[in-house]
Amino acid sequence: MTTTAPFPAPAKTVAEPDIVEAEHIGKVFHRDSFEVVALEDVSLTIARGDFVALMGPSGSGKTTLLNMIAAVDRPTSGTMRVMGQDIYRLNDREAARWRNEKIGYIFQTFNLIPVLTAAENVELPLLLTRLSKGERREHVETALRLVGLQDRMGHLPKQLSGGQEQRVAIARAIVSDPAILLADEPTGDLDRQSAAEVLEIMTRLNQEFRKTVVMVTHDAHAAGYAHVTRHLEKGHLQA
Amino acid sequence: MTLTGFTAKSALRNRRRSLLTILSIAFSLLLLTLMMAVWRGFYLTKGTPAGARRLMVRNRTSLTFPLPAYYGQKIAAVPGVKAVAPALWFGGVYKNNKPQNFFAQIGTDPKTFFQVYPDYGIPPAQWAAWRRDRAGCVVDARLMAQHHWHLGQHLFIKGTIFPVTLQLTVDGVFHAPPGFEAIYFNQKYLQKAMPPLTSIAGMFYVLTDSSKNVSRVERTIDGMFQNSPAPTRSETERAFFLGFVNMLGNIKAFILAISLAVVFAILLVSANTMAMSIRERIREVAVLKTLGFTQRGVVGLFVGEAVAIALLGGILGTAGAAGLIAMGGQSPQGALLKAFTVTPGIVAAALLVAVVVGLVSAALPAWRAAQHSIVEGLRHAG
Ligand SMILES: Nc1ncnc2c1ncn2[C@@H]1O[C@H](COP(=O)(O)OP(=O)(O)OP(=O)(O)O)[C@@H](O)[C@H]1O
Ligand SMILES: [Mg+2]
Repeated sequence: MTTTAPFPAPAKTVAEPDIVEAEHIGKVFHRDSFEVVALEDVSLTIARGDFVALMGPSGSGKTTLLNMIAAVDRPTSGTMRVMGQDIYRLNDREAARWRNEKIGYIFQTFNLIPVLTAAENVELPLLLTRLSKGERREHVETALRLVGLQDRMGHLPKQLSGGQEQRVAIARAIVSDPAILLADEPTGDLDRQSAAEVLEIMTRLNQEFRKTVVMVTHDAHAAGYAHVTRHLEKGHLQA
Repeated sequence: MTLTGFTAKSALRNRRRSLLTILSIAFSLLLLTLMMAVWRGFYLTKGTPAGARRLMVRNRTSLTFPLPAYYGQKIAAVPGVKAVAPALWFGGVYKNNKPQNFFAQIGTDPKTFFQVYPDYGIPPAQWAAWRRDRAGCVVDARLMAQHHWHLGQHLFIKGTIFPVTLQLTVDGVFHAPPGFEAIYFNQKYLQKAMPPLTSIAGMFYVLTDSSKNVSRVERTIDGMFQNSPAPTRSETERAFFLGFVNMLGNIKAFILAISLAVVFAILLVSANTMAMSIRERIREVAVLKTLGFTQRGVVGLFVGEAVAIALLGGILGTAGAAGLIAMGGQSPQGALLKAFTVTPGIVAAALLVAVVVGLVSAALPAWRAAQHSIVEGLRHAG
């Protein structure tokens, strides 16, 4: 269904299904002999192109929910469709491939590989694809240019500032051009200036490149960059 | 970068630890390579084709007891025997008692000696010169080079067993296999100085017509003298050589024990390094898996790392062993080392050991790390 309208298509059309459809997600962790209920009956839809902020007190289940969407973890109950795929039907190998192709994940603590340069860190997800060396280099350069670090390609993580490290991590998350970006407190370890840069990049990725963004944050100011803010409280998603 | 490049960079992540591991593996594999070279030199080398056709006949009681000289004719008459040469150990001193001046001096019959040793490659003119020269000798090429002798050189060798000083002229040069360096002189020289020696020989070198007949000839000779006052013991050149080796003790068990200990040691070193290295990277494994690495991919990375480290150690170790043998062979004290060679086969075997050790040492910890859930790994501190 092509549209000839002179305006950009609205973020959500009737015909386009939601990119994330979570139904009655529950997650119980078993620690030694006792159980921790991290999520309880969470249902949530996210439209393609949305920018969602996920807020809530510590321990409320934000990271757990993000991991569910990323196919990094499996729920105890409930189903999750991402881009129409029931992701919990994927086996381990398929889930790994799914994450590689469809999901960009950004951590609070950057999690760059210390022995690899910025460019090599960004290239890492592409090593699992069939791209040629030249194509990989092109993608890496594009991603690093997008986060403003094209002149830091050969730097090791320890030679970068925290803000620069997080921007490299963002480049790594987007290098395989995933549809969804999941960020777990991406500005949690950053100063105000670096946090603002990171949030601006996230906004640009959402608006210019139509990435769907889900961002966990404690910071109301950061949440202000999102279209939608959802609150978790003791494993329950507030209406 | 490639996955291989990533593996290499990871392997050298902790420089000091990797270096220490590589060095200990290198040292162990150096030992293992030496052991394999010694094993090959002692037990696997066939020698020359002529060597396989040769027998050494000596007094059954002991190497130090002589045999009657007339045994030579009787042995020559045994079917299958092509040539017989007597041999008497002179045991003299050249210049002084320093080990670099030690070499075997053996009295023999110039006429038949090179019939038994056609593989020693004496030029016919030199052989002829030696046959005419009662005070002549022929010397091994390596000894010649080591002592900077030349044809026509005079050698003075002072007897310790016999009260005679040999004044010999170098008439010719031959090429014996490593470990068989010696000079041979005309036994008549000694017999003239000490007439009673005319009737005895230290032992006999015998060439048979075919390696298939060696054991039959061996039995015939020993049977022939079984009931005589001086029974004989005939053995192949290699068995004779191994007889010396075995005087040192149970070499086979010794080599095997050292080799086993060495392999076990590298296994421990490598396993320890990999266990440490993997434990430090639980979080990184979770990150890699989040990026899309499979469990198998993670195992591959770690195992690749261990194999890379072990291989580096292996290359250093085998090169070190080859270098050591080559260098040792240069020095006079290490002349025996020339009998040992680090062949491509030995290098391959040592590197294979390295690879297997790398595989085995990393497989279990890597598999366990890869199984770890991503969520747990990401929550892992550090
Ligand atoms: N792997 C685990 N094993 C046991 N309990 C867990 C595990 N992961 C999370 N939990 C528990 O589940 C609950 C939700 O955890 P989660 O990490 O999702 O919270 P969060 O909202 O991200 O908190 P924070 O803001 O501190 O990051 C907590 O009580 C936590 O202790
Ligand atoms: Mg969290």
